[in-house]
Amino acid sequence: MAASMGRALRHAEEHLALAAAGSVICVTALLPLVAVIAGAPLSGLGPLASATPWLVLLRSCALAAAVTACALLLGVPLGLLLGRADIPGSSAALLLHALPMFVPPFLLALGWFYLPHPDALFTPAGAIVVEAIAFTPIVTALVALGVQAIDPSMEEAGRLSAPPWKVAFRIILPVTWPAAALGALLVFALSLSELGVPMFLRVRSYPAAVFARLGAIDFAPGEAAVLATPLVAVALLLLAVERRIGARRSFAVLGLRNEDRPALDLGRLRRLATLACWAAAAVSVLPIAGLARRAFEGDGFGNIGDWIGAGIWNSAIPAALAATLLTGVGLVLGRAFAHDRPGSTWLDGLVVLAFVTPAAVLGVGIIDVWNRPSTHALYRTIAILVIGFAARYAVIPARAIAVAVAQGSPHLEEAAAVQGAGFFARLWHVVIPLHRRALFGAWLLAFVFCLRDLETVILFYPPGKAPLTVRILTLEANGPPAVVAALSLIQCGMVGAAVIAGALALKGARR
Amino acid sequence: MIDLQAVSASMHGREVLRDISLTIGAEEVVAIVGPSGAGKSTLLRVVLGFIAPTHGTVRIGQTVVSVNGRLTVPAEERGLAMVFQDLALWPHMTAREHLQFAGAAGPRIEALLQRVGLRGKEDRRPAQLSGGERQRVALARALAGDPAALLLDEPLSNVDVALRRELIALLRELLSERKRPVLLVIHDLREATALANRVAVIEAGRLVQVGAIAELEARPASKFVEALLADTTGGNRTCSSSSHPHT
Repeated sequence: MAASMGRALRHAEEHLALAAAGSVICVTALLPLVAVIAGAPLSGLGPLASATPWLVLLRSCALAAAVTACALLLGVPLGLLLGRADIPGSSAALLLHALPMFVPPFLLALGWFYLPHPDALFTPAGAIVVEAIAFTPIVTALVALGVQAIDPSMEEAGRLSAPPWKVAFRIILPVTWPAAALGALLVFALSLSELGVPMFLRVRSYPAAVFARLGAIDFAPGEAAVLATPLVAVALLLLAVERRIGARRSFAVLGLRNEDRPALDLGRLRRLATLACWAAAAVSVLPIAGLARRAFEGDGFGNIGDWIGAGIWNSAIPAALAATLLTGVGLVLGRAFAHDRPGSTWLDGLVVLAFVTPAAVLGVGIIDVWNRPSTHALYRTIAILVIGFAARYAVIPARAIAVAVAQGSPHLEEAAAVQGAGFFARLWHVVIPLHRRALFGAWLLAFVFCLRDLETVILFYPPGKAPLTVRILTLEANGPPAVVAALSLIQCGMVGAAVIAGALALKGARR
Repeated sequence: MIDLQAVSASMHGREVLRDISLTIGAEEVVAIVGPSGAGKSTLLRVVLGFIAPTHGTVRIGQTVVSVNGRLTVPAEERGLAMVFQDLALWPHMTAREHLQFAGAAGPRIEALLQRVGLRGKEDRRPAQLSGGERQRVALARALAGDPAALLLDEPLSNVDVALRRELIALLRELLSERKRPVLLVIHDLREATALANRVAVIEAGRLVQVGAIAELEARPASKFVEALLADTTGGNRTCSSSSHPHT
């Protein structure tokens, strides 16, 4: 009896693990979304009755669309050039250009403010430029990875009858378009979600309108929930687009040949292209230079101890906990998605939806679900930050691990199964050792995204537990500018240190 | 004619081809055989212009296309065509668009599609075609630009026995119709003898023997050639060099 129960349990191991991972996603992400959708009618649709919120929503969508268009216009050629062309120092240029991706965008706005700037910085056009510089690296990086993943023989087949520029436009770019489209989708979602840049630049935005209903003066959480509902519709639309352009095609790196290939020869255009790539890299790091200048000129680091509080720990600890939780969930979910297990597509859709949903919606939902007497033990501690991060960023490790698993041979795990290894034994002895670098990379990505987060946690961080990003935004209004700049540099330094330490660890693990 | 004189090539600092001299006549089909990693595919890539030889000269017709570490004529201007081992079909293009990209136009496209048995499927993309049909698209694309010479890298790998027989028949017809130099990397000596006039054996980057199959049988130059011939004989070789339409 006990033996047969043990056998049944062993057969169900994979389903149980997927159910546990699914439960984490449902509790952290689905519950808040349902709470927003279900709760809105109960509060009445009054806040949406006038034209004003709809015009602000339209304005936010137009701003996000403009940022996306700029990111595509700049990111696609940069990705192609930095990914495949013979640009001197292309790896260094890509790294510098990608830096803003790991920094909260409002710090970049702050950096531009500390540099000589036109008055137009405090207009929608200024917000578009700042966000475009912040988010273009997403498109660049995805396109660069996409072009590097193309089977070299596809290019060679084209090169036999066409010059390099024709191969680039007729073969490489069309084959890479899912990567560019996915990048565009991410940029639109992040830009629509962005709270810090519009608030700092005094540009009206829909997430800021939702946030205002949760502030101390206009506190009206019911109204915030109602205002958040149109954003759910936008998120569902984005999910539908993602399902059409991305989903399993995100695994286009399957069949990747690691064979070296000659770089695309740019001929006479090489010098101009090099200049353009390095100019893009320089522009990307310029605002960080602006922060450094302000911090050092005003002795911002002199008395930083009085201002920083526990900001670093309030950022790093919940980010590390959330990244660890999400890597565990991502291992089960990503593996299931790569192997097309029942239910995995649904869960993948849910994590994508949570990511493309503007953070204000998740924030309002999380407050609704967890701000209750029975759950105050969680709501008033850093646990709520972990829940918020888990809700928003589950997609990052899940997709990263899915890509890694999909690239490996399924036979390796099947061979262990044939030898009698159960699901957890296979996970422990085969999947984890085989993909340990990908797992660490997934953890690092999740950690960095949690570390740079502002817009999710600003709505519900517990008293005295403000992460550094929140502390900088609140100090920006009335704190000493040099100290704010110094705190911003510490934030950049934290992310930079995590990325560099992670990169070194990954390099060491390869040896 | 394709002419290689004293060609050496390196990859990742390792010499992959050493002092290769080989001439493929205007209407000749030469099959390159050799163990894995011997440098067969590298040799094709040197001829195509994707790798510059560290030493030696490559000529196509009377034109020097590569010499001592330099590509004097880029790949797209060499007038060559290639059937890649993994076919390298472009997923976003239909069969017709593949041929258009390779330089064919108008009735020539229809004629080529007809010739390889793809009429009615010209507007399908690779994902909508069977394995055999994809092989035919790759073959038609290679012939679309009326190339000066044709290179084939393991064109019969990854296909089942029935399809292999069908493709050998098609290849033989096409090669006899369009007389031009053909360089063919192939795994199986039986298939090599069915298609080629001469066989060139490469081992560890060196050309160890070139000749008709009868010459190889008469004086095998190495143990590998002996083993290759033994395998072939043991495997009931049905085609001989004389079965090729050019001879």
